[in-house]
Amino acid sequence: MSHSTQRAPGATVEFERISKQYDTRAKGTPGAVNDLSFEVPAGKICVLVGPSGCGKTTSLKMVNRLIEPTSGRILLDGVDTATRDVTELRRRIGYVIQQVGLFPHQTIGENVVVVPRLLGWPAGRRRERAEELLELVGLDPARYRDRYPSQLSGGERQRVGVARALAADPPVMLMDEPFGAVDPIVRDRLQNEFLRLQEELAKTILFVTHDIDEAIKMGDLVAVMKSGGVLAQYGPPSEILAAPADDFVARFVGADRGLKRLSLSRVGDLELRQVAMAQPGDEAAGARRQIDPTFPYLLLIDRERRPIGWIAQDRCPSSGPLSEDLAVPMSPLFNRRATLKDALSLLLDSDVQAGIVVDRRGATLGIVTADEIAEQMRTGEHVVAADPFPGEEAALEVRSGLADGAGVEAAVG
Amino acid sequence: MNWNWISSNVGAIADAALDHVVLTALAVGIGFAISFLFALLIHHDRRFYSPISGITGLLYTIPSLALLALLTPITGLSLLTAEIALVSYTLLILTRHIVAGLDGVPREIDEAAVGMGYDVGGRLMRVDLPLAIPLIVAGLRVATVTTIGLVMVTAFIGEGGLGQLMLRGFNFRNYTAVYVGAIVTVGLAIVADLGLITAGRLATPWTRPR
Repeated sequence: MSHSTQRAPGATVEFERISKQYDTRAKGTPGAVNDLSFEVPAGKICVLVGPSGCGKTTSLKMVNRLIEPTSGRILLDGVDTATRDVTELRRRIGYVIQQVGLFPHQTIGENVVVVPRLLGWPAGRRRERAEELLELVGLDPARYRDRYPSQLSGGERQRVGVARALAADPPVMLMDEPFGAVDPIVRDRLQNEFLRLQEELAKTILFVTHDIDEAIKMGDLVAVMKSGGVLAQYGPPSEILAAPADDFVARFVGADRGLKRLSLSRVGDLELRQVAMAQPGDEAAGARRQIDPTFPYLLLIDRERRPIGWIAQDRCPSSGPLSEDLAVPMSPLFNRRATLKDALSLLLDSDVQAGIVVDRRGATLGIVTADEIAEQMRTGEHVVAADPFPGEEAALEVRSGLADGAGVEAAVG
Repeated sequence: MNWNWISSNVGAIADAALDHVVLTALAVGIGFAISFLFALLIHHDRRFYSPISGITGLLYTIPSLALLALLTPITGLSLLTAEIALVSYTLLILTRHIVAGLDGVPREIDEAAVGMGYDVGGRLMRVDLPLAIPLIVAGLRVATVTTIGLVMVTAFIGEGGLGQLMLRGFNFRNYTAVYVGAIVTVGLAIVADLGLITAGRLATPWTRPR
């Protein structure tokens, strides 16, 4: 995003006793909403989640008045939306829908600046903005600007949909299952990219999904709704998972909510355990003395502290220099952004006790064990939510052979 | 074929063809304007569908000669009579096609348009109508080709373009005139149809794979 563009900070969104009733219960009637009150602070992502027909989409559409509430008010930065001109209001709110709804007869370059055109921006400024927006969502403007939507893949269209919603830099965005129509791998990538974008943009976002995992991943706040449009619980994801308000919420978040909670914490949040370490050529006797009897292994590292492999205490010679041949390279490597859930699953998969945590240059920071993660899950004390290590890629890798560098890589969010 | 007749009557043939084109263009143009209004009414409020559909459908079923006979006492043997008849026959086809085109705009595209802040007029002009172009062109093709044929019939009230040429050919057993009239009419229909196809393609670049 160009720095010449003035960035609007997010606005607060307040639902004040919002209800929407429908006379008919015909098929296709949107879900009703019953006495809904909550507040989304500026710059936060609030995910509305619940089973189909719970009124989450209805709630979303009442913000830009595609649906008018039966009673109650919605305030944007304290101003009642009902008092504002409806088209002017909509042009100030970004809107992304699952089917994307790009205009088939307009090029991508035209599609992304629909709202700026409605707002009367001159053509030159629109063209510049289109370039910025496409770059922002990771699409090369030169390649995509003049194409039509039918020439794009599903994932590319979703990106254009997000770019279009951001075009006039609205303080509030409404996203109705924005990543629902793509396969899980693309969805995961789009989610991660969007979270990274949001760190920079700090929009206030209302996000609808039926997928509790997506809600936990994307939400600063999660509003769990149940049928009849009743708000069952509202709070940060860690709170929803740790203390479901009722049976419905507990069932909805799933029996594995302990595991899900692990996806909210990252390896870097743990106090990393230190192990005995030595370099090839070091005197074995000295190294042996450092070994902790509760974890009878020595970690061999190179000059840059990069792990080479493990030497079990009983295979460690009692004298002479240590050599690389003794080390068995079999631990997964994590960086600090890996979630505990992914770390645990990799540890279980690779059938070892400990994973090695490394920094960006690959230097050893410490180890993490499955037991420690399980302990974390039991105590339920979760620090996080915000990303404490911005800039570090959330990638982790498993290497079967550390020494020869061969291995599998898995990018995890 | 009497080639001498043709070469000595080139001017008259061209005049008749031009008349034919003007009669057709007027009929389709006026018919499109009326149908467009009808379609907007229907698109705006479905309750207009039955009455408009009923009237245009009824007009369409009246045999052309009968309609001319009915109109002549009122509007005389005139261009007006011919055009009333010709326009009548375009309405059903054009109205239906325009309505189908507007209805065919996918729901999510309309929802996105409204959600982004298009007003009613803006959405119609910038979203719904462009997307309806393929069906509108399809309607115009049928209406135009049909009208080119029907113009012949108006020869009976003294209009008719190339129809006049053919009618006189029959009366004077000048079959060369009959053939020429028929062939030029078919040529006009083909040219008009190809022209509309081309115009439709040019107006909808997004439908072409690149």
